Amino acid sequence: MTPLTLYHLAALLLLGLGIVGIVSRRSLVGMLIAVELMLNGAGLALVASARLTPAVDELGQLGALLVMGLAAAEATLVLAIILVVARRLGSSETARVSELKG
Amino acid sequence: MDWLAYPAYGLYLVLILLGGLGAIFAQSLVRALLGLILTLFGVSGMYLLMAAPFLAFMQILIYVGAVSVLIFFAIMLTRPSDGGEAGREGSRGLGRLLLGLVAGLVPVAILAGVVIRKAPTELPLKPEASLASLGQYLTGPYALAFELISVALLAAMAGAVLLGFERRRAR
Repeated sequence: MTPLTLYHLAALLLLGLGIVGIVSRRSLVGMLIAVELMLNGAGLALVASARLTPAVDELGQLGALLVMGLAAAEATLVLAIILVVARRLGSSETARVSELKG
Repeated sequence: MDWLAYPAYGLYLVLILLGGLGAIFAQSLVRALLGLILTLFGVSGMYLLMAAPFLAFMQILIYVGAVSVLIFFAIMLTRPSDGGEAGREGSRGLGRLLLGLVAGLVPVAILAGVVIRKAPTELPLKPEASLASLGQYLTGPYALAFELISVALLAAMAGAVLLGFERRRAR
């Protein structure tokens, strides 16, 4: 196995952990943590693809940096949304956050 | 000294695996956050191993320094469910866990097959990208993306402040 494959498999591990977390977690904060795991996997795959192939190195590294910036923005916004949801509906668990009864 | 890279890779992979398992299976959300931080350090170590030190330190600065603190605030400020301990999550059913495993394993298995089968031949590692050239690319080909991400960050902060002003609505 080449190093590139090894890094890509590590990134896939992060993706898989994130998907398992986002599907099985019951609270919105837990889902946010799972999303951060997946974004990290994306960054790792991006940097590995840029570093270990003939592609331009800087573009991949800066792309991963932009992913980090977007993750920070996303975490800020999701934090505010979770707070509003918790204030309005009294809970941040996905099963309870529903106004339509059926 | 090349062989040293493999134990280091294994160490970082173990960090990522342990942290990730903690992040998605821990009952307490604070422990889940600690698992996430462990994973972030593992990924940062992998960046170092790839000779991308700038990204490794940015990872620690942005993720461990900022994002995880934000998530910690989210844990603290949301109310505990059912009057239980703060930040503790109720146990999930076996069905949910199975659903999650299927949803996670299928895309990962497909992608892993592609990654392993289409792996390119090994190439020598390129010299480390200097900070100066990174800056030049940020103001050259990525200038628009750089400006857009500052606008996106500003919009996210303004939106978060706006959402924070909302009063509690009578139910």
